[in-house]
Amino acid sequence: MAVPGLSAAAPTKLRWWSTQSSPEQLAAYRYQIETFEAAHPGVEVVFERTSDEGYAAQLAAAFAGGNVPNLVTHLPSFAVADYWNAGLILPFDDVISSIGAERFNEGANRVYEIDEGVHAAAALGNTAANMLWIRTDLMEKHGVDAIPTTWDELRDACSRMQGRGIYGAPLPYARNSMTTLVIIGFIHQAGGSVFSPDLEVTLDSDEAENALEFYASMREFCPAGATGYSWGEALSAFVSGATATGLYAGRVLINVTRQNPRIADHITCATYPTISADVTPWTFNDFPSVFIPADAADLDLTRAFAAWLFEPEGYIRQLHATPGHVLPVVSDVASDERYLSNEVIARYPTEIERLSAAAAAGQNLGWETTAHPSNPRAGAVVNSGVLAEMVQRVALNGEKPRDALKTTASRIERILKA
Amino acid sequence: MAGQRSFARKLMFNAFAWTIVLVIVFPLIWMILTSLKPQSELFMIPPGFFPEQVTFEHYWRLLTETPFLTYLRNSTVLATATTLIVIIIATLGAHSLTRFAYPGREFLARAVLFTYLLPSVVLILPLYFLMINVGLGNTLASLVIAYTTFALPYALWLLRSFMAGIPDDLEAAAMVDGASRMRAFVDVILPQALPGIISTALFTAILAWNEYLYALVLVNSDDVRPLTTGVMSMLVTSFNIEWSLLMAASVMMSVPLIFVFVFLQRYLTRGFGAGAVKG
Amino acid sequence: MESSTRPAPKDTGLSPGTRSSMLGLMLIAPTVLVFCAVIVYPLISAIYLSLFSIYTPTMEGDWAGLSNYKVLIQSGEFWRSFGNNLVWTVGTLTLQIVFGILVALVLHQNLWFRSLARSLVLFPYFLSTVVAVLVWRWLFNDLYGVLNHFLMWTRIIDMPIDWLGTMPNAMISMILVGAWKYFPFVVIAVLARLQTIPDELYEAATIDGAGPVARFRDITLPQLREVLVVIILLRTIWDFKEFDLIYLLTGGGPVISTQTLPLMVYKEAFALNQMGSASAVAVMMMLFMLVFMFFYLRKAED
Repeated sequence: MAVPGLSAAAPTKLRWWSTQSSPEQLAAYRYQIETFEAAHPGVEVVFERTSDEGYAAQLAAAFAGGNVPNLVTHLPSFAVADYWNAGLILPFDDVISSIGAERFNEGANRVYEIDEGVHAAAALGNTAANMLWIRTDLMEKHGVDAIPTTWDELRDACSRMQGRGIYGAPLPYARNSMTTLVIIGFIHQAGGSVFSPDLEVTLDSDEAENALEFYASMREFCPAGATGYSWGEALSAFVSGATATGLYAGRVLINVTRQNPRIADHITCATYPTISADVTPWTFNDFPSVFIPADAADLDLTRAFAAWLFEPEGYIRQLHATPGHVLPVVSDVASDERYLSNEVIARYPTEIERLSAAAAAGQNLGWETTAHPSNPRAGAVVNSGVLAEMVQRVALNGEKPRDALKTTASRIERILKA
Repeated sequence: MAGQRSFARKLMFNAFAWTIVLVIVFPLIWMILTSLKPQSELFMIPPGFFPEQVTFEHYWRLLTETPFLTYLRNSTVLATATTLIVIIIATLGAHSLTRFAYPGREFLARAVLFTYLLPSVVLILPLYFLMINVGLGNTLASLVIAYTTFALPYALWLLRSFMAGIPDDLEAAAMVDGASRMRAFVDVILPQALPGIISTALFTAILAWNEYLYALVLVNSDDVRPLTTGVMSMLVTSFNIEWSLLMAASVMMSVPLIFVFVFLQRYLTRGFGAGAVKG
Repeated sequence: MESSTRPAPKDTGLSPGTRSSMLGLMLIAPTVLVFCAVIVYPLISAIYLSLFSIYTPTMEGDWAGLSNYKVLIQSGEFWRSFGNNLVWTVGTLTLQIVFGILVALVLHQNLWFRSLARSLVLFPYFLSTVVAVLVWRWLFNDLYGVLNHFLMWTRIIDMPIDWLGTMPNAMISMILVGAWKYFPFVVIAVLARLQTIPDELYEAATIDGAGPVARFRDITLPQLREVLVVIILLRTIWDFKEFDLIYLLTGGGPVISTQTLPLMVYKEAFALNQMGSASAVAVMMMLFMLVFMFFYLRKAED
């Protein structure tokens, strides 16, 4: 007896992993998948969700078991560097040239050029992760004239706006990737760095000490539960109106318009303050990436699908899922009328511009300043959580910043050796 | 007079007992109340006790806009399959351990207890490679197999102590009547062991229904993700914690259990008790 | 039933005793097989891996001998985690036992709507750890949590308490949630045992003039002894290796104040990508439990 459907060859299955999967983003991905499947009969693309906290374990298991997805998107550039150096990633240059290298913003893919002349991945977007968000209505009410640009101004603004159930800021003091990212930002905003340009650990410095002291001094403006905050809590705290300032990327915009429209006209953003006017702002851009793991099957189709993600229509839908959060890295899209006509983007032109400018100038631990080379061990350092632990030691356990810096520096050195 | 006083005492005792019960279930009551509040009431300071406006939109959204039902199906399949496999193997094994004499029996009985000691985190990566090597990566079957690692020792332990409590003479009598050992097992031992089997099945199903760590690492696509990791990864993300949806999902994850539980609660204490008495 | 249609036993030339033990071995065979495949093999590989220094994503590495163990024994973090593990296990287990016996005694009485009360009390045990943790995290929430607002309303505190992020609150909260989640197991077992204690024992004691306390001490407790020995053994093992609840509730924080050994295994394996030393922690953990079991069972048999 003939069974219909069995005669046709089984469809080729492509697995796509991403750490970003809000409902709006999923809808955009579905569109991209459906159009790709329509253009490539016999191919099935399966989206599989992972998370910022979970990808390390899941990818570790997948790599070790040889059961890798075809495509991984939105991982930070330092994770890419880590896997690239372990030989777990295929070069991405074919895909970049089929998308058109010239379409990318100037320098957008430099962070993935870990070995000279080869790209481990391409940028799927830009993100300004540590922007200062602030409530303009509360500023007005409490006589804060300008958006703070230095730490002292920030502390002053927070202490004025705090009260009546509203806290100053939702900074995280937990042992997680957000705390790690925030302290890295503070160290740079104090004029320091975690590694020197020749990739020696330079944590034991006055700048880092200042950063830790500042972080600890902000504790009094944060809700009690900030010791457990990660991205989700920090975002909700600002969006729900529980804190006067926030530290987050562009997703605040859509969440505020959706969840708390009452404050939608009273928010704005700027680069996070620095220790003094002499130190230029430093934005953490995790450089959401797209890469193909080594051992991935069906390479031709995989590459075609990777390039498909940059087709303007679908790419714009992806960007529109979280306007201002994942910012375009393809220059023709950034100026595309379809992209700019989005309701949220049209409503917050100043904020979008600030986010884009900050992200474009952004760095991260894998590439701390333009003077630094790519740091292959940054992913290991971030995932180890030692930097977040250092923050907790100082801010919660009252350890001396200098001691915490010394032990952490030696722990990082141990990680580098492993 | 005496009647009144004893009634007053009864009332006091009941008030005391029910206060304890209510304190214990308060988190569950709060979970249900939260799931019925619209999002605007969720972030009220201070929080209101009862919802000012009852809404079922969170349930609706879960069922229509998210893969909740797929997760539910996966969890059901997982719990059922794990329970069936584990119960069959464990009943046979427990029967063997309690009714037969052969070299190494005592060693095996102790080994069971030892396997019970193994933490899941230790087994997880070797198990993962095993699954990939036999072609079961990212499937429900891989989870069923993984779940037997903790469910089987436990089931065997419970059943062995329960079946040890069934008097030997029952089986002996059946065999005097000429029944074979397997026949005696099916006709005599099994019916006697039924309460123990039901209670063990319940415990096994609950373990499988609630497991988190294996599900987190071993499977990675929505088609095969169970409720525990599915709900977490779907609703607790870097960009939102959907408390209302989480509470609605929690309620729905518990509802099937309530049904099972109300019907089988009797067996639970009976089966467990008889077993535990024997040690 | 159909015992008359029994098949004649085949003459296999084996004595009945041997045949019977063959059958016994056959029945246990599936268990042994499953154990070997999914427990013994991973266990051996865990011990084997603990002798290497391995990068998790590639699972490649070099022979390290016993150096993983040497590093562990010298590391403060390992002993700290072990200490946390003890505090957590003893704390939550004690509460579970005390509270479990108390509630079982109450539920054993003639209560209005007794079976409803029983179902409700047993319910936390059947809840997913994920659900339990989520509900408690929502109760504990600093901004919108009902617990803080209730305490502020009753003026016990004026500012919200950080239940999960500072010490000793985090450990206490964790122990409480663990006790809430798992005490019904004790209730189930104790209740079952209580039902089998003959009423005559109590009647006789009452006639002898024993009060409720004396009756509990002289009759109930000794009768419960055996079942408690088993409960404590089972629950100690489960609590000692608990992962989900702690990982989801505090994640081991602040710093490593609530990090137990299973969490350390997970962190070494997946956050630090050190599969070798993760396995070493796991092996040590099993050794601790073995030692505990050895002494516990010896003591219990006395």
